[in-house]
Amino acid sequence: MTSAPAAARLGEFWKALADPLRARREEPLPRRLVETAAAWSGARRATLYMREKDAWVQAACSDEQEGPALPDPIPTAATSAGAVFWVPLESEGEVHGHLGLEGVSPEDTEELALSVGFLLGALIAAHRLSRLVKEAEFEVKTRLLELESLYDLGLSLGGQLDLAALGDEVLYRSISLTDAGKGTLVLFDDGGKLLFERSLGGDLLPADRFASWRLPDGEAVINNAAATVPTAGERLSSCQKCLAVAISVLGRRLGVLAVADKESRDGSVLDFTATDARLLSLFANQAAAAIETARLHKEAIEKERIERELELAAAIQREILPRSLPEIAGVELAAANLPTRQVGGDYYDFFPLSNGRLGFLVADVSGKGVPAALLVSTVHAAVHLSIDEAKTIVELVERIDRHLRRYAATRKFLTLFFGIIEPESGALRYVSAGHNPALLVSASGTLERLDSTGVPVGMLPHASWREETRTMQPGDLLAVYTDGLTEAVDGSDEEFGLERLERGIAEGRALPAKRLCDEVLLKVADFARGMPQYDDQTLLLLRRT
Amino acid sequence: MSEACKITVERRDDVAIFWTDGYINNQGGEEIARQAYTQLEAGARALILNLEKTRIVNSIGISILIEVLEKVMDRKGTLAFCALTPTIDKTFRIMGLAQYAAIYPTLEEALKAAAPPGETAQRP
Repeated sequence: MTSAPAAARLGEFWKALADPLRARREEPLPRRLVETAAAWSGARRATLYMREKDAWVQAACSDEQEGPALPDPIPTAATSAGAVFWVPLESEGEVHGHLGLEGVSPEDTEELALSVGFLLGALIAAHRLSRLVKEAEFEVKTRLLELESLYDLGLSLGGQLDLAALGDEVLYRSISLTDAGKGTLVLFDDGGKLLFERSLGGDLLPADRFASWRLPDGEAVINNAAATVPTAGERLSSCQKCLAVAISVLGRRLGVLAVADKESRDGSVLDFTATDARLLSLFANQAAAAIETARLHKEAIEKERIERELELAAAIQREILPRSLPEIAGVELAAANLPTRQVGGDYYDFFPLSNGRLGFLVADVSGKGVPAALLVSTVHAAVHLSIDEAKTIVELVERIDRHLRRYAATRKFLTLFFGIIEPESGALRYVSAGHNPALLVSASGTLERLDSTGVPVGMLPHASWREETRTMQPGDLLAVYTDGLTEAVDGSDEEFGLERLERGIAEGRALPAKRLCDEVLLKVADFARGMPQYDDQTLLLLRRT
Repeated sequence: MSEACKITVERRDDVAIFWTDGYINNQGGEEIARQAYTQLEAGARALILNLEKTRIVNSIGISILIEVLEKVMDRKGTLAFCALTPTIDKTFRIMGLAQYAAIYPTLEEALKAAAPPGETAQRP
């Protein structure tokens, strides 16, 4: 039972504590306690030790200096050690601190032990409890935040088709919820090509090095000992501790998510925990499905764009190619163009000229798709504009060349064969600008290759071309074609080749031109056995009758 | 968003506005706290943190912001946040920051709320 004077001293001490406890809340509690204890007890100096984890540490000293060390062994009851009177601060049978008072009167020591020990013990216990509750509350909220983040990420990723936005979301949440100081997310396509790379706090590794990491699918790997990812054998020089997970779908690697250097309040780098690993694994699994969806969506959009472009290119080509063959006395004509799925730039045309003559053209422009189709359109316009003004075929080719240089994009060129046949005399004049050799087959089966007489049009400045002449006898056949025929490939990547074409044309030389044209194209198709072809196939046949 | 968090402070009467740019982690939080305490010592009554350029906050950063909030409340001041991303907004609400600190969609609204009754905060 507490005696009356002791109770009075307790009351006095409590009153002395009231102001610092209520009004000076911005100051740390230990500091306020030692100052009050020193002032109230008349001590020259008061030092407070409090438990930090498993050790007693000096929490405050009234003169802000290094106070006296705790006696060894630590006293379990109020006791004097040299000039210091030590009071254990107890509450509910547990010692929460030790107060050392220097320069107090020996008569006061018993009452001091009672009043100071009891009140400060209770206050420190309450303070510790309050701190523990706050920490526990913070921990619970953090766990709740993790759950909410997983839920939100699922919702957010489900509707997110932009790969970059999705990657940012995954990376930022991963770094944030593991308290990492830095992180990197890299995503690859099926061929290992980098699709996305984002880092915060500096790159952990050059992106291409992540591709070779052998991580278990969807299971995060911790390395707290050194910044080496165990299964990857990769040492990271840019961080101390690392947590990494593979992002995979059905065993197919999409990328790697790695975070590093878990932060603490005191600035040190903490170990990643099993909870961190589980969280990152869950993120990676959620992200994998979303990233795959976004990637497929991106591919679908790209495919759709290419399809639209090809449709446009095909439409341009269809508009340019002649819808029917001209009927010219003394010649039999046939022509066909098989556009491939990629739509190359083949073009053929006929130009009825004065005196019963016929001009004809086969051209193959560089490139594919819309750019090639537009170039064909440019050539088509140039030929039709110049055909009446050009006095010779060479002049016509030069005009096309000039036109191409002026209006077409850079580094665009075409090969062409332009010929003029005079049916009455059989005179054939032609220019072959870098084109595949046209085949002139006599009625008896003799075959002559009409080789190129100059470089492709639009390729070189100051280029020149030579006009050649031949005489076609009745029954002679001229075949002009593009390399889509000779370079058609079968399943083993073997080309149809010039020899097969020559043989086919020579053997069928007596057939009607249209039928021969169909048969040659059929032979090429049979050879390719359904393999997709990447270049247009064009064949023009002209027989002098 | 930059790598390390950058803090820019502007004082308008007794309102201190903090523009953060980057990750509010230990380093970013400490810098906010340091500058916030400087402003409180210099008589700031209301602190507004504009997080327009911050997309990521971790729990260390949040615990430091809670310490700042406690200090501000001890001094009978106010702390407000504005221009938060939806993710940070939700984080602050779950972690309890929104219990004692107001959250506004824009800086203008935060300034309006911080202005003493009858006054409207104006840009200098």
